[in-house]
Amino acid sequence: MNQNAKRTGAQALVESLAKAGTEVLFGYPGGQALDIFNCLTDAKFPFVLGRHEQGCVHMADGYARSTGKPGVCLVTSGPGATNTITGLATANIDGIPLIVITGQVPMSLIGTDAFQEADTTGVARGVSKHCFLVQSADEIPEIVAEAFYIATHGKPGPVVIDIPKNCQQALTSAQYPERVSLRAYHPESAATSAQMNRLAKLINEAERPVIYAGGGVIASGAAKDVATLAHRAGIPVATTLMGLGSFDERDPLSLRMAGMHGTPAANWAMNDADLIIALGVRFSDRVTGKISKYAPKARIVHVDCDPASIGKNVSVALGIVADVKDVLTTVLSRVKSATHPEWTSKIDGWKKSHPVTWSQMHPNVIMPQAVMEAIDKATGGRAVMVTDVGQHQMWAAQHFRYSIPRHFLTSGGMGTMGFGIPAAIGAAIARPDHKTVAVCGDGGAQMTFEEVVVAVEHKLPVTFVVINNGCLGMVRQWQELFYGKNYSGSILTVRGRAANERLEQDLKYDYLPDFVKLAEAHGAEAYRVIDPAKLDATIARAVRSKKTTVVEVIVEPRANVYPMIPAGKPVSEMVFK
Amino acid sequence: MNEQIYRLNCYVENKPGVLARIVGLISGRGYNIQTLNVGPTEDGTVSRMKIDILGTEKVVEQIILQLRNQVNVIEVTSRRM
Ligand SMILES: Cc1ncc(C[n+]2csc(CCOP(=O)(O)OP(=O)(O)O)c2C)c(N)n1
Ligand SMILES: [Mg+2]
Repeated sequence: MNQNAKRTGAQALVESLAKAGTEVLFGYPGGQALDIFNCLTDAKFPFVLGRHEQGCVHMADGYARSTGKPGVCLVTSGPGATNTITGLATANIDGIPLIVITGQVPMSLIGTDAFQEADTTGVARGVSKHCFLVQSADEIPEIVAEAFYIATHGKPGPVVIDIPKNCQQALTSAQYPERVSLRAYHPESAATSAQMNRLAKLINEAERPVIYAGGGVIASGAAKDVATLAHRAGIPVATTLMGLGSFDERDPLSLRMAGMHGTPAANWAMNDADLIIALGVRFSDRVTGKISKYAPKARIVHVDCDPASIGKNVSVALGIVADVKDVLTTVLSRVKSATHPEWTSKIDGWKKSHPVTWSQMHPNVIMPQAVMEAIDKATGGRAVMVTDVGQHQMWAAQHFRYSIPRHFLTSGGMGTMGFGIPAAIGAAIARPDHKTVAVCGDGGAQMTFEEVVVAVEHKLPVTFVVINNGCLGMVRQWQELFYGKNYSGSILTVRGRAANERLEQDLKYDYLPDFVKLAEAHGAEAYRVIDPAKLDATIARAVRSKKTTVVEVIVEPRANVYPMIPAGKPVSEMVFK
Repeated sequence: MNEQIYRLNCYVENKPGVLARIVGLISGRGYNIQTLNVGPTEDGTVSRMKIDILGTEKVVEQIILQLRNQVNVIEVTSRRM
């Protein structure tokens, strides 16, 4: 194109998105985004129409989590923009790179309470990494380039670009910049040589070391380096929920997941360790429990790209603000080969005496944990597992063996119900080479079920497994354990509701909705399984299908997630049943 | 938990939304801004914000780190008043 040729701001936007590397755009139209939609039909990348803006953002998020590249989403002003807030918050806390473009009323109408006007950057500010309010069409190419840079540098996160309609329509000759240079934002930081020597010395001198790997290991592409360090220096590895897949859980050095519902071996090892090498973690309260009792014997080394996360929740002996992969590749040459036979045999004892297991409660009722094992078996442990939020999320974390980065996608920090279905669609679009399985609760599945249509339309062979326990299981579990079994507002079946909900107990339906009919109405192939003997075969059949499948599994409603360290309590108060 | 008044000196890019982001970051954590003073510097594209807040050393340190993470914040320094 001629350097001086003018095109509209909307055309400049679509052209800039392609130049920035957009492979697919998720979104939903409306009045203040129509100029942009009008040029999408000529775009270099395909468009995927979601069915709710929250779903669109979670799809872009699933795409980003499974590829590491920014997910891109386009919505209209007002309600379109406010519907993205949950998706932004979900991506923001987990450090997921997104570009969310929102239409805005023309600048002349901003501040007049115009139709579908909302202060989008004002509302989104607290749940995003950065927001731009475009003031002129000439700014659009540069802002797109800056937004992609900000989303992917430092701790990744979602960036909002709010574009008034007059800027979409105005003509501009501004070109996409060759390079981005931001005056005030320079997040790159590297470890000093003194820090590397200190880290190597701590590792070489430790008697009971533990590597504690989080989502930052996956974001920085450092999983192989973690394995090399662990094997060279004989260091057991625990992960966070977000770090599942950063270390092969079938490796003898794996302690699997730590935290509230983590393995006893992981939690006891951290409690007993003399050195914790924390890589790309935040020390969330779901992991530390009572902070004053956390890892009492350990010196903590914390490596993270976010300076604000170091020393935020726990005091550290050595804090390194740097990319995890850079630190590991440098330190490796200074680390001596070692084994810690006494330490690892103590840990192996814990693994044998306290494995994370479950037992059948009623012979004819499927246990939810068995569903995760069935999915593991049917996919050879290679599925991209996407979860929703609740008990099933923890069972998915516990009863599937993760071995590959970016194969466990979950809303860790925000715990957003409704994430699973749309995120799985984004992941399936991003990774057609892998089978994607979404595990959802009956509660969360009802929050974003409308998006199943998108999977059907795009012929995505995703399997959505609905773990139907007839209740908001995680809430029910807390009420059973901590609120005197007062099941207020947490039962989804008609029977068993609290009296204040005033439901007639003789209603014709018990389980509502009928997920099989619902799935069929959305065009998906659907199965229901109730009999434990048919579980494995049904899951295997759905997973093998080339179509979009929904499997409703009616499971034991009384099952709880164990082990559990109650919120704010120390490791010593772990309960097993 | 020794609360004291700290004065934060922030140099920020003079762009819309920057003031709101900085004030929001502090007030969103339940900290009250005691004094706020914003003005231009000789370089018209940079503004200087003086913010007095009451807090513990640990909390103020955390706020400073978060402020430095902001895309439009050039530099933050602090001193106890
Ligand atoms: C949007 C949202 N609302 C409320 C919650 C609080 N919450 C956490 S888990 C849960 C229950 C989830 O129920 P379900 O989807 O059936 O999964 P289960 O726990 O039964 O496996 C609720 C309500 C949440 N995490 N997200
Ligand atoms: Mg449920």
